[in-house]
Amino acid sequence: MSAPLLQARGLCKRFGGLHAVSDLDLDVHAGEVVGVIGPNGAGKTTTFNMIAGAFAPTSGQLAFDGRSLAGVPTHGFAPRGIVRTFQHNKSFDSLSVRENIMVGMHTRMPASLWRVLAGTPDAHRAEREAQRRADELVDFVGLGEFARAEVATLSFGQGRLLEIARGLAAEPRLMLFDEPAAGLAPGECARLEEIILGIARQGIAVLLIEHDMRFLMALADRVAVLNFGRKIADGTPDAVRADPAVIEAYLGNVENLAHA
Amino acid sequence: MKSLLSYVVAAVVLSAIAFALGAYQTDIYRKMLLWIALAISYNFLFGISGQIAFSHFSFYGIGAYTIVILVTQAGLPLPLAVPATRLEGFYLALATLAFAQLFIVVLNEGGAITGGTGGLASYRLPDIFGVHVTGPWYTVVIVVLMLATMAIIGRLDRSWFGRACRAVRDNPEAAAAMGVDVRRTKVIAYAVTSALAGVAGMVYAFVDNTVNPHIFGLENVFLLLFMVIVGGSGRMAGAILGAALLYLMPLVLSPLIGHHHALVFGVFMVLAVLFQPRGLIGLWDRLRARHHRPPAVLPRAPAIEPKPVKREGLA
Repeated sequence: MSAPLLQARGLCKRFGGLHAVSDLDLDVHAGEVVGVIGPNGAGKTTTFNMIAGAFAPTSGQLAFDGRSLAGVPTHGFAPRGIVRTFQHNKSFDSLSVRENIMVGMHTRMPASLWRVLAGTPDAHRAEREAQRRADELVDFVGLGEFARAEVATLSFGQGRLLEIARGLAAEPRLMLFDEPAAGLAPGECARLEEIILGIARQGIAVLLIEHDMRFLMALADRVAVLNFGRKIADGTPDAVRADPAVIEAYLGNVENLAHA
Repeated sequence: MKSLLSYVVAAVVLSAIAFALGAYQTDIYRKMLLWIALAISYNFLFGISGQIAFSHFSFYGIGAYTIVILVTQAGLPLPLAVPATRLEGFYLALATLAFAQLFIVVLNEGGAITGGTGGLASYRLPDIFGVHVTGPWYTVVIVVLMLATMAIIGRLDRSWFGRACRAVRDNPEAAAAMGVDVRRTKVIAYAVTSALAGVAGMVYAFVDNTVNPHIFGLENVFLLLFMVIVGGSGRMAGAILGAALLYLMPLVLSPLIGHHHALVFGVFMVLAVLFQPRGLIGLWDRLRARHHRPPAVLPRAPAIEPKPVKREGLA
């Protein structure tokens, strides 16, 4: 396999005396769908937040496309091609659905503020182009008729789709999903699955953390299992399901696993 | 170039009015236009970028004093106050309020440079390229300033920068995840709007041909805030409406009820904030929506009902 797009080596995060994540190695390749699972408190969210740039690891290396992400601020992740969604939809409520998606293009807007103020033709063109792309993305996630609507009129599931469209607007190479299926109805999950697979088919690497095993197992090419902040398994969904260490970690949830 | 045309038309109409006014009305007209210009830029800072800063009117004062000092005592180095643009929310509010107070202290204690409590007077606008701009022509300068402020803020608001400002106000965490540099966005919004206030202040300096600490006191600092809130925070039309209304209200009311106009003002403010938090422009939107359907301003309700989400599977 080619060099991984995202490479985590010996990633650690401590909060005071608590070792939330210890010595984690994780690779994600382009076009691959990687899932991270684990019982509550296993360090999934902490891992996610480090990779998304929400906070820095205590120690260990994080590299994207061969370059270290050390010292890169949160807003520096999107321009490098790493974009996330939020488990609890974080939309911009005073903007329309289309404008929300256009915020996703922030780092791709070519016109400088001076050109905007001068109202140069290329600034106008960039703005029109951004609107056109936003409409395309609205259609891609199936929110077509809501493009001009206020965000408040969207349902929770539609808000999740908006998060995805907004993320895609940043032209990511790695898209991170924070429990994307949480709070969705079964029909919406199926739609979400389709969309995520569609994203992976475009060559975009996908990393998901998920509670919903069934959803994740059907979707992921590879699954990493965390327990007490350490990775206890990493492999295909089938291999992970059969792993004794995983079964033990999920002892209280054996049924869950069997049905997954 | 439809927008350019509408600006030209607005400039011609607003300038034409200047030539029809007497001395007293001219004074009111000029100050109203200046208040509108200030309210438009302050609305971007407060209403759109969401930064609660009380420094805006002080920058107006700094602009006014700077130009007067340059004109009367050219060559003096000016201590440039760099306010605390790295602060957020409540702390920014406190710091800028302190700054506004400090500004008054500096004006009062500035000796010969600021003219102390009496301020500076009996200066006049120097000739610009041999032309002495006066009378209605100076009002035209103010019209141009107001429209330029409108155009600059309007363009910023409708660009990626305006979206970034709103995104930062609505949800800074998500904005950062989309690559928006939250602090930089706020600092730029603060700097641009403050600079616009400063330029407006420079123009104001030659309206009364006097600047004094009293004008730039806290009373007007808060009046500006009220203008934006009463008009409808976050909306340019609201800022224009609020500025015109609150500036003109005492002028209309005081001949009728004397000093009681302050009471009316206070009651009006409380009612506006309690019952119409989206401001007069929000009220206008509601009335419009009731009379014309579908509403032309904001596409509020989508044509299709949002599908109900079944939440029984919610973890």
